[in-house]
Amino acid sequence: MQPRETTAPLPLPTAGRNRRAAAALWGSGQGLRGARPRGQGAGPRGVAAESAPPEGRERQRRPNSRAHVSAGSLHKRPRLVSGAGDIKLTKDGNVLLREMQIQHPTASLIAKVATAQDDITGDGTTSNVLIIGELLKQADLYISEGLHPRIIAEGFEAAKIKALEVLEKVKVGKEMKREILLDVARTSLRTKVRADLADVLTKAVVDSVLAIRRPGYPIDLFMIEIMEMKHKSETDTKLIRGLVLDHGARHPDMKKRVEDAFILTCNVSLEYEKTEVNSGFFYKTAEEKEKLVKAERKFIEDRVQKIIDLKDKVCDKSSKGFVVINQKGIDPFSLDTLAKHGIVALRRAKRRNMERLSLACGGIAVNSLEDLSVDCLGHAGLVYEHTLGEEKFTFIEDCINPRSVTLLVKGPNKHTLTQTKDALRDGLRAIKNAIEDGLEQPTLGQSKSEALNSVWVSHMGGKNPGCVVPGAGAVEVAIAEALIKYKRKIKGGARLGVQAFADALLIIPKVLAQNSGYDLQETLVKVQAEHVESKQLVGVDLNTGEPMVAEDARVWDNYCVKKQLLHSCTAIATNLLLVDEIMRAGMSSLKG
Amino acid sequence: MAGGAREVLTLQLGHFAGFVGAHWWNQQDAALDRSGDAKEPPGELCPDVLFRTGRTLHGQETYTPRLILMDLKGSLSSLREEGGPYRDRQLDAAIAWQGKLTTHKEELDPKNPYLQDLLSAEGVLSSDGVWRVKSIPKGKGPPPVTAAKPVIPLEGGVRVWSDFLRVHLHPRSICMIHKYNHEGEAGRLEAFGQGESVLKEPGYLEMLEDRLHFYVEECDYLQGFQILCDLHDGFSGVGAKAAELLQDEYSGRGIMTWGLLPAPYNLGEPQKNIYRLLNTTFGLVHLAAHSSLVCPLSLGGSLGLRPERPVSFPHLRYDATLPFHCSAILATALDTLTAPYRLHCAPVSMAHLADMLSCAGKKVVTAGASIPFPLGPGQSLPDTLMQFGGATPWTPLSACGDPCGTRCFAQSVVLRGVDRACHTSQLPPGTPLPSPLHACTTGEDVLAQYLELQEPRALSSSHLLRSPCSVAPPYPHLFSSCSQQAVDSIPVFGALCSSSSLHRTLAGLARELTKLDLRRWASFMDAGVELDDVQELLQDLHSLAQCYQEGDGLTD
Repeated sequence: MQPRETTAPLPLPTAGRNRRAAAALWGSGQGLRGARPRGQGAGPRGVAAESAPPEGRERQRRPNSRAHVSAGSLHKRPRLVSGAGDIKLTKDGNVLLREMQIQHPTASLIAKVATAQDDITGDGTTSNVLIIGELLKQADLYISEGLHPRIIAEGFEAAKIKALEVLEKVKVGKEMKREILLDVARTSLRTKVRADLADVLTKAVVDSVLAIRRPGYPIDLFMIEIMEMKHKSETDTKLIRGLVLDHGARHPDMKKRVEDAFILTCNVSLEYEKTEVNSGFFYKTAEEKEKLVKAERKFIEDRVQKIIDLKDKVCDKSSKGFVVINQKGIDPFSLDTLAKHGIVALRRAKRRNMERLSLACGGIAVNSLEDLSVDCLGHAGLVYEHTLGEEKFTFIEDCINPRSVTLLVKGPNKHTLTQTKDALRDGLRAIKNAIEDGLEQPTLGQSKSEALNSVWVSHMGGKNPGCVVPGAGAVEVAIAEALIKYKRKIKGGARLGVQAFADALLIIPKVLAQNSGYDLQETLVKVQAEHVESKQLVGVDLNTGEPMVAEDARVWDNYCVKKQLLHSCTAIATNLLLVDEIMRAGMSSLKG
Repeated sequence: MAGGAREVLTLQLGHFAGFVGAHWWNQQDAALDRSGDAKEPPGELCPDVLFRTGRTLHGQETYTPRLILMDLKGSLSSLREEGGPYRDRQLDAAIAWQGKLTTHKEELDPKNPYLQDLLSAEGVLSSDGVWRVKSIPKGKGPPPVTAAKPVIPLEGGVRVWSDFLRVHLHPRSICMIHKYNHEGEAGRLEAFGQGESVLKEPGYLEMLEDRLHFYVEECDYLQGFQILCDLHDGFSGVGAKAAELLQDEYSGRGIMTWGLLPAPYNLGEPQKNIYRLLNTTFGLVHLAAHSSLVCPLSLGGSLGLRPERPVSFPHLRYDATLPFHCSAILATALDTLTAPYRLHCAPVSMAHLADMLSCAGKKVVTAGASIPFPLGPGQSLPDTLMQFGGATPWTPLSACGDPCGTRCFAQSVVLRGVDRACHTSQLPPGTPLPSPLHACTTGEDVLAQYLELQEPRALSSSHLLRSPCSVAPPYPHLFSSCSQQAVDSIPVFGALCSSSSLHRTLAGLARELTKLDLRRWASFMDAGVELDDVQELLQDLHSLAQCYQEGDGLTD
């Protein structure tokens, strides 16, 4: 093992050759450090705590390094309060980065890469920042001793290729049953929200993905609507197997609760509006105008009558309900007529909900009322309205085999809602990744979705082979170990680059240990030893600080997140190193 | 809602738009107060067109602008995204986390004395943390500020628009674009393409759609949208995309777009200047394509690269470098120009107004206003109008140069704040009439006749309103003539006019754009605009300019 960096507390940038990069990094590091999520598994995954934190985690960390003094202890979570007093509570690195105003160009570059990582995979923001920072720091050690950045970059590149090979080897292909998906989601969510909330969300997230998944098709997360409701507490967040619309019927006589209802989704204007473009009425007298207006109005009335006819036909004096959900407007006159016939009508449904509606309740969304028939209608067991202040919510539940569902986020205030919502999004992505990582990688020239489609259709046939990698820093330890062996095959200075890369990756288990309140060196050494001995993938157990086999502890990370991390971190660190060299050359030539 | 007002939803995109908007809402708010105090019959302008009645979770009635505004990270200063009557301090404090917490608190932006004064005057956070307003804003209005000297915001103290905003906003009004910074050098929203791509991102798009849906769904008779949009920076792209979205989603509604430009710009920064030109041109053309009517509003002398002196008003003293001043003047003009579709009785719908002004593709119009309308004591309307002689009575506000010698195709004119007694000439019978205007029997006739005289070939529509424009503080003190006593309302004469001066302006923009070597401004192109787009833009700009060509063989 390479003992040097494990004993050296984060060195302050010295007057090395690569001063600018180091200073820049340090600048960014400071900025990030201040707001870096401190807590169980900041970024990289630790074992998800099943119970209340044991006393061990509360003990004070040894203040053995300058940089660590400022670090909070376990379970600290940054709360951001803006200048106007707006609160944001988060432990999600992505959210933090988006909130910070980063002025330094290097720091802002790193932040952009990190948020891009989140856009692509939905996770890994903090790891990204940590690894890039550590790569530069390790590189700085060698550069200050005279190694050329270009050679380090070569080493990084070789190391990256090897690391990806290792990652390929350690990934675990499994059939994605509910249990393992729960594990994946839990690992992801526990790092973002508190434990009891995470458990609530885990179940909701997994069940929602399972509900909308159709064999033979890629998972479309857009079919899961996330709706927020400022009401009760965040643990009341739940999965609705149907749809929740954030508006209600606009007529006092319409029923607030309808059972066993037909649902008509349409995109037809039911409001009287002056016809478009330059075609004002031409009239001579007031009566004539009246007549024209009436004729226009009649046109709308006919449309309303068609809906009423259909209702009379299908309901036929039975107690069945009838709900119209229209994407266009419905004016008060039409609402009144519909209400008189016992029809509940919602207007101005969101465009994105139209597709979901027909997926959830069945039926087809109609664009004209000309050929309305019973086949167009969907069905829901229960439709009811819930009013909160000035806001209304319409729940459409008890659908038969819904292929679009809603995650209803609840919480007492806005920042809780946002926090829960962000966590849900990440959880959904983690599950989607886990399921879809099992597919073969797209070949060149073929877009990912195309590849997915063809693979799903041809090979899967209803099975769900997914793929995950062990979490809790196990992968990083394994890769570092492999790289140390590998570096002997590399000749010249690039070997040092490989060494630096291996050392940099170990920041993940180190931060895990540190954030849980353990001695990072001690923990790391133990984990590494255990890994070499057992030949298994060993990570950090955040409850005990002892090594544990990640697979047995059911801590899973996404394969694609790790892969993306290796790619983007190497690319950015390399670029920063080289840019720095060019800048320096320019500076000296200016002076001379 | 109330009485079938034909609702309008306002979109405010950008920081200068925020300034103009803040002044405008303040003015409307002041007008509300006044009509409430005097127990007059409801005013001529229907506030329900732009405001909405709501209810907080605690059952408190609210009356807030029907507004969606977008601004960049760090631009709100002391305004909270979710503030005012909808706040609940107790619930806000609930934290969904069990462990320890590190709080990273930005330094609290100090509320300036004006805001503090305002806060203490109208509402208190009661001990249980629930916002209680002492009086219901609608109708009665906040109690008149009893302090002997109301605190007036200092010009220097105004950094952002929220520094002088009097009205409360609905929590769904404010959309922050966190991707770009309001201040600083890095991460600015400076190019059209960047703005467009903001609304291509699913996150922001969804946010906008959700808010639109919230406001639109409750409207029974939505007549349209008005977009206040900054043209000089990337918000022109945001505006273009938003207008496109509205046109797609709500076809048949009017979309009035006001393209705003802060007056002066610095020649010292050529890049900014070029960007401003590009953004303005792209914005104008795209907005014209997607809205019913576009009107650039600026106190600057021209839209082009070469700066010209900002316009001057005969009775106003203002500092063109202060957005606080410029926006106040533009807001006053807006309050007047938009009156036709905000009337209580016999309103002209937004779509109709746009149709009237934009025949044959002339979707860009110019604005002008006379602030204040120089009605001397004892003078009647015909007298004042005749004083102007043949000259245009209003100062141009669209940066299209002097309207002299240009032709007006269609115009919509609003004169407000003139007492009924002054509408017609009060000359004793028998005296020879100085002009045909003096023979008219109603004020409306006088105005119509005057327009007929001025622009015999134009299609004109005119409105005469009794209620003046309110300029109570925090409106800056700009009036040179009556510097001693505080003025709280003024008569204003405003016009929207489809004029042939636009031919010159638009063709000028096209010319300057052709001269630019766009490859030098790679960062503008990087943001998602391609060279082909520029060619297409030039085409569109030329054909737009063509619409305003005078003497097309038919008339002359």
